[in-house]
Amino acid sequence: MIKKLIAVVLVCMLALVSVACSSGSKTPSSDANENTSSNNESESTPSENGSSEGESSGDPAFMKFPKPVDVHIGMSVSPVDKTLPPGDSAQDNQYTRYLRENFNINVIVDWTAAEGENYNQKVSLAIASGDLPDGLVVNDRTYMVRAAKSGLLYDITDLFEKYASKQVKEIMASTQGRAMENASYNGRMVSLPNITVDTDGIYVMMIRKDWLDKLNLPVPKTLSDIEKTAKAFIENKMAGENTIGIVGPDKNGRPYSTFLLSSNNRFGFDPVFQAMDAYPGYWLDDGTGKVVYGTLTENTKKTLELLARWYKEGIIDPELGTRDSSAEVVNANQAGIFFGPWWSIGYGNGDSFKNDPNANWQAYPVYSDDGKWNVRMKTVGTTYTLISKKASEDVAKAIIIMNNVLVRDESVFDTSVAISWYPLRNVMAPADECEYEYKELWKILRGEADPEDYNIPGNPYKLMYSDAKAIKNVVKPADPNSEMLNVQDFDQTDFGKFQRFYSLLIGNRPYATITPDKKVYSVTYNQTETMERKWANLQKLEDEAILKIILGQEPISSFDEFVEKWKAQGGDEITAEVQAEYDKKK
Amino acid sequence: MVRDRTFWSRAFDVANIVILGLITLSCLYPLWYTFCLSISNKSAANAGLVTFYPIGFSLVSYKEIVSDIKFFNSFWISIQRTILGTGISLLVGIMMAYPLSKSKEEFRARDIIMWVLIFCMLFNGGLIPWYITVRNYGLLDTIWALVLAGGLPIFNTILIMNFFRSLPKDIEEAAVIDGAGPWRILFGIVVPCSIPVIATITLFVGVYHWNEFFHGLVLMSDATKYPLQTYIQQLVVSIPTNTSLTPDQYKRLSELSNQSLNAAKVFIAMIPMLIVYPFLQRYFVAGIMLGAIKE
Amino acid sequence: MKGKRGNVEKHYYLMVLPGLVWLFLFSIVPMVGIVMAFQDYNPGLGIFGSEWIGLENFRYLMQLDDSKQVIINTLIISSGKIVLNLLVPLIFALLLNEVTQLQYKKLVQTIVYLPHFISWVIMASIVINIFGYRGAINTIRSWFGLEPRLFMADPSIFRQLVIGTDVWKSFGFNAVIFLAALTSINPNLYEAATIDGANRWQKTRYVTLPELKPTIVLLGVLGLGNILNAGFDQVYNLYNPLVYSTGDILDTWIYRLGLTNLQFSLATAAGLFKSVVSFVLITISYVLAYKFADYKIF
Repeated sequence: MIKKLIAVVLVCMLALVSVACSSGSKTPSSDANENTSSNNESESTPSENGSSEGESSGDPAFMKFPKPVDVHIGMSVSPVDKTLPPGDSAQDNQYTRYLRENFNINVIVDWTAAEGENYNQKVSLAIASGDLPDGLVVNDRTYMVRAAKSGLLYDITDLFEKYASKQVKEIMASTQGRAMENASYNGRMVSLPNITVDTDGIYVMMIRKDWLDKLNLPVPKTLSDIEKTAKAFIENKMAGENTIGIVGPDKNGRPYSTFLLSSNNRFGFDPVFQAMDAYPGYWLDDGTGKVVYGTLTENTKKTLELLARWYKEGIIDPELGTRDSSAEVVNANQAGIFFGPWWSIGYGNGDSFKNDPNANWQAYPVYSDDGKWNVRMKTVGTTYTLISKKASEDVAKAIIIMNNVLVRDESVFDTSVAISWYPLRNVMAPADECEYEYKELWKILRGEADPEDYNIPGNPYKLMYSDAKAIKNVVKPADPNSEMLNVQDFDQTDFGKFQRFYSLLIGNRPYATITPDKKVYSVTYNQTETMERKWANLQKLEDEAILKIILGQEPISSFDEFVEKWKAQGGDEITAEVQAEYDKKK
Repeated sequence: MVRDRTFWSRAFDVANIVILGLITLSCLYPLWYTFCLSISNKSAANAGLVTFYPIGFSLVSYKEIVSDIKFFNSFWISIQRTILGTGISLLVGIMMAYPLSKSKEEFRARDIIMWVLIFCMLFNGGLIPWYITVRNYGLLDTIWALVLAGGLPIFNTILIMNFFRSLPKDIEEAAVIDGAGPWRILFGIVVPCSIPVIATITLFVGVYHWNEFFHGLVLMSDATKYPLQTYIQQLVVSIPTNTSLTPDQYKRLSELSNQSLNAAKVFIAMIPMLIVYPFLQRYFVAGIMLGAIKE
Repeated sequence: MKGKRGNVEKHYYLMVLPGLVWLFLFSIVPMVGIVMAFQDYNPGLGIFGSEWIGLENFRYLMQLDDSKQVIINTLIISSGKIVLNLLVPLIFALLLNEVTQLQYKKLVQTIVYLPHFISWVIMASIVINIFGYRGAINTIRSWFGLEPRLFMADPSIFRQLVIGTDVWKSFGFNAVIFLAALTSINPNLYEAATIDGANRWQKTRYVTLPELKPTIVLLGVLGLGNILNAGFDQVYNLYNPLVYSTGDILDTWIYRLGLTNLQFSLATAAGLFKSVVSFVLITISYVLAYKFADYKIF
């Protein structure tokens, strides 16, 4: 009897299976998708023939496809962007129309997600389900490696050689092959790398000069100067009861940048570590060819001791590590000092000037006690454009061309629509772009050069010309012979331009005008085999140990325990791996 | 019952009322706080100065919301999802619960199905296979993904079943003698007798669908298809700095954090729940027993 | 007679059919993914093409310091919640039961349900603000001359915070079941106690509590099945890297393992581990409830 019952149930279940299977494969929308994709393929075959004809007529890097090529992409968007005109969308805006009209590239946005964590989640899902859109920008090399390892990526080695523009190749070459190395997996190029300016990884001190002037204090140079200055800010209640001396990282920030996340670490303590000749998070050559992990060194420990004391004495923001956003404190003008890359003032704190147009933020290097400016150097770039293996050759070409177009034309676009709406935007800039612009812009301000001098088509310094034309309307130096600008020297009417020039001319002044005494590179900026499994765990161990010491939740003596644990849980193994790779390179 | 009138007894009454009053206030605070934040001015809200009362009264946030099509769009999606999801879950759940409330002798597959349910409640293949499955059904980006992909609400079905089991048998028996079939018994007798539990489960499922944010994030391809909680989540979630954003992205992020506006959206998102639940509340006491405690 | 029964039964099958279809499509089909736990899953090759590695994933999970810590955290948080979500609503119900002003009683009862209906997405942002450096709690502390404290950053207090806020959010709702049970106590018992000269405390102690005992036992047993559910929505929205050491629970860990660290197979293995343990516990609670409370949970 019971057996019979089970049989009935099984029959029912089987019936369900068939129902489910048929509904699984025959839903109208998936059919539709299949149809369109097969259409694409049938379309692309003739167009390939056509494209070879088109190539002969001009530069293949900017060729117009004879027939429209559909490029499916995933895209990160800002949930609160207001620059897109009504009626426009991620898929249909001035940038996508430009691509369609001039290159016959038809961008189709498969999905979007809010930039940051939500976008990363979508990317993870896309990789995990083996279902990448034709093109996708990922925020971290881990995603690229994972996708490449799973065989999901298009090998663009040959296509890139043929279709990348001269400008793009020049920028790639300016990194001495490091960009190509990053973009490759097992010796084949499987992604378009991101190349950002070096100064994104140069951390300097941002300080309220107007507060210094009010208190009649000099610009602090060393760590003990900074300590005294921050104390003075707090004691004199420069921003009322809640004045914060030094802002620290928020809950998603890091106390220092690392070999994997080496740039744009705003609100970290990197300059403090560097002034102590400590480079935590980097793989270092100890001078004898032996690789050590920078966090484990004695200098790191000493710096942590100092930071813990600062925290205890209330010099550092007491809400360090728990704030949703440290930028809010800066924008509310509650703080006097923080550390960050060049764009942290100007681009990074627009509301600060809106709340107080006279907030005179200035940038300076932090020196060691013997007067040295040590800096750590970042990796080439951190984001990657992936091209799906399932994409047709034309689509892969189209994505390479889209990148060429962005690099060539970014400066001529009307950027009242945020440039982040450009599909598959992945920045490629010459490493010294900011320093170059700094020098040239000053030439214009001093009247030594004319904006039209920079009207050079195909210039890798792509924003130079448009900046050159705008600079005189925004910056009106009281004394053109001194490069010390104050906030009062700027016209804030065109706020976007104001922010850009503030970052370029003040935020980047230290790196553009002072040569660092020591530049420290990490032995590697990429993960080794074992790291792929074990690094997340070690990183967590490190983050916890370091933050607890700074916050005084653990005594400094716990540092040695951390080192032991780190080594035991795979650190030693990984160090040996990095050493082996390092030896191979030498 | 005669109450004792000793001093301590009265002192206890007073203390009790005060303590309960404080507890009650603490439960009102989130609502009050959100409201205060939403009508405070932006810079006071962002600087974290608002705690117990609004600072710098301003209705700008609400004015801004009125013109925010995306917000109302998400609101509408959430309403659709909640109505469809609750309706379907209840109908299917009730139909499933009734046979399961029968004994093994009356419905022989009962125990097997029950264990299948329990098994499915606890085991799952994880996020990725689930996502692939939903994608293969072609449900991504449809309201049905939000309504159906969460699966049969097993726990609630078991609650309904337990309630059905506790109903007196004689009502049904009388109906059987009158010649009523199982469908008529279920919808004509059992369901009307179970209004309290059904109201309670309606509320459970409704609250779930209204408050759920994760599925929207995973299954919808862009923000115009997000339900309200997902829409809010992407606003209040902080942006990690360890993903490398470009300076202009940072620029926008630091400009646009607006606690007051977010609070206004959160406040509006809470309103439907506040409107609906007093109506269903009177059924709780009966409903939540769910036949859980047998007399 | 037998034929008629079979006839009715046919309708029963029809009734459960839609539910079973739903279950099959969205619960059983994705369960194929469980095999990932025994593979080195490669998205390019898919579930059916990836390499089988037996129990390797589980072995590696056992080695991790994290996994032990995460299980400990989960157990502490969930057992704290189970116990307090029983005790606090019970005490609250008893206190409320002593209130004689019916209007007040009703008002209190209505309002305390409120937090239960607010999602953790929203509630977490409020909780973070309340416990923030300048939040309500620190403001109140300052009235008593106490130094402000960083609650959200303090691993030594995070678990208590998670348990506490959860209990606070749901005690009103959880009290309903006790209030219901209280109304069903025979008033004669109280009258008899009054005649015996019992005061209020004694009545509570010797009449009310014994009458509630089955309910308490039952709820306790039912809670057992939840011992590995420490509340994903809550912790996910509340925690930050500073409190991972005490606040990270199985569900959040599995989530990060899969979607942040892209360790798909490890995440599946950890999820499977959790399911198996939960299944065992539910079975135990089924047996216990049946044995001691003579109650069939399902």
